[in-house]
Amino acid sequence: MPYYGKSEDWLHQSALLLQARPATTRITTRYHIKPARRMPKSAKAEEAGAAANPPQPEETAQQQQQEEEKPPRGHLVLKTYDPASGVTLKYKTSKAAEVTRLVQMLGTLGRRMAGVAVETTPAATSGGGAGGDEVVMGEAPPVGGGESEAAAAGGGGSGAQTPTPAAGAGSGAGAGGGGGKGKKKKGKR
Amino acid sequence: MGHLTHDEFFTRLADLFSTRKNKAHGAVYLTQKRLTFNQEETYASKSDSFEDLYVPRPLPILIRATNGKSKEHRAAKVKLSTVVQPQDLDMFYARYAEVCKAGMAALKPRDRTKRKAKAKKRKIGAAGTPAS
Repeated sequence: MPYYGKSEDWLHQSALLLQARPATTRITTRYHIKPARRMPKSAKAEEAGAAANPPQPEETAQQQQQEEEKPPRGHLVLKTYDPASGVTLKYKTSKAAEVTRLVQMLGTLGRRMAGVAVETTPAATSGGGAGGDEVVMGEAPPVGGGESEAAAAGGGGSGAQTPTPAAGAGSGAGAGGGGGKGKKKKGKR
Repeated sequence: MGHLTHDEFFTRLADLFSTRKNKAHGAVYLTQKRLTFNQEETYASKSDSFEDLYVPRPLPILIRATNGKSKEHRAAKVKLSTVVQPQDLDMFYARYAEVCKAGMAALKPRDRTKRKAKAKKRKIGAAGTPAS
């Protein structure tokens, strides 16, 4: 029951599963709201300070108010499940910016489900770019100078996995590698 | 319960989302699968285990929505379903995206404050380094 780190990976693997078992595979989107449990950093620091000193009733009341004010957070889990083979593929997010794109993905997969010919868009085929592995739990640890290696490995993996023509897979993998590189750079700064 | 028309499905899905909005917990489940039940044509041979890979014509899709209430909360359960014909898929998903986007209000909005603060910090850092 792997969770994919990227929605593209989820889309790619789901598309493969649908290709194999179009009649039994179902996709469930679960949108759930949980009360926010995690305290913001400032509140935590305050609590640490309060623990050192005798806690004042006024301060704790303020903290409680802060916690109440924090709105409950929604989460979105996409699950592709095939009861015949027991395969489950999942993707989890809490970003509102992704919703439209994810529903578009549902649409692409829906077209596949219906048996309508799907035009292979680069976005749909670039899934294998980041991770050639079957199970991608998260991003690979960023190793200095290993970026090009990772990209090459990803390209090889996707080449072996994707049923699409080699040219399309190659370009898709290249694009995926490039995107990953940019992201890493952003994270480092 | 029979299948709803698309319009009805979307209005009731919006209702389902809006009932979630004011509560601190709860869930909405949306499911899609190929509709194979009660279709006119049956597969040529059941003995072929891969018969579902080759369909003579595109099949409709079944979309379900529920609030996940069952067992003791069965009375509060909301179940919606609709069938999307293959030629309506694009139109349906465009509206589906709109309704979902509007309904999933508790998701994290795009946060620009952090990036702004970072940019400011960088600017200060850049200004500080040449001077020293």
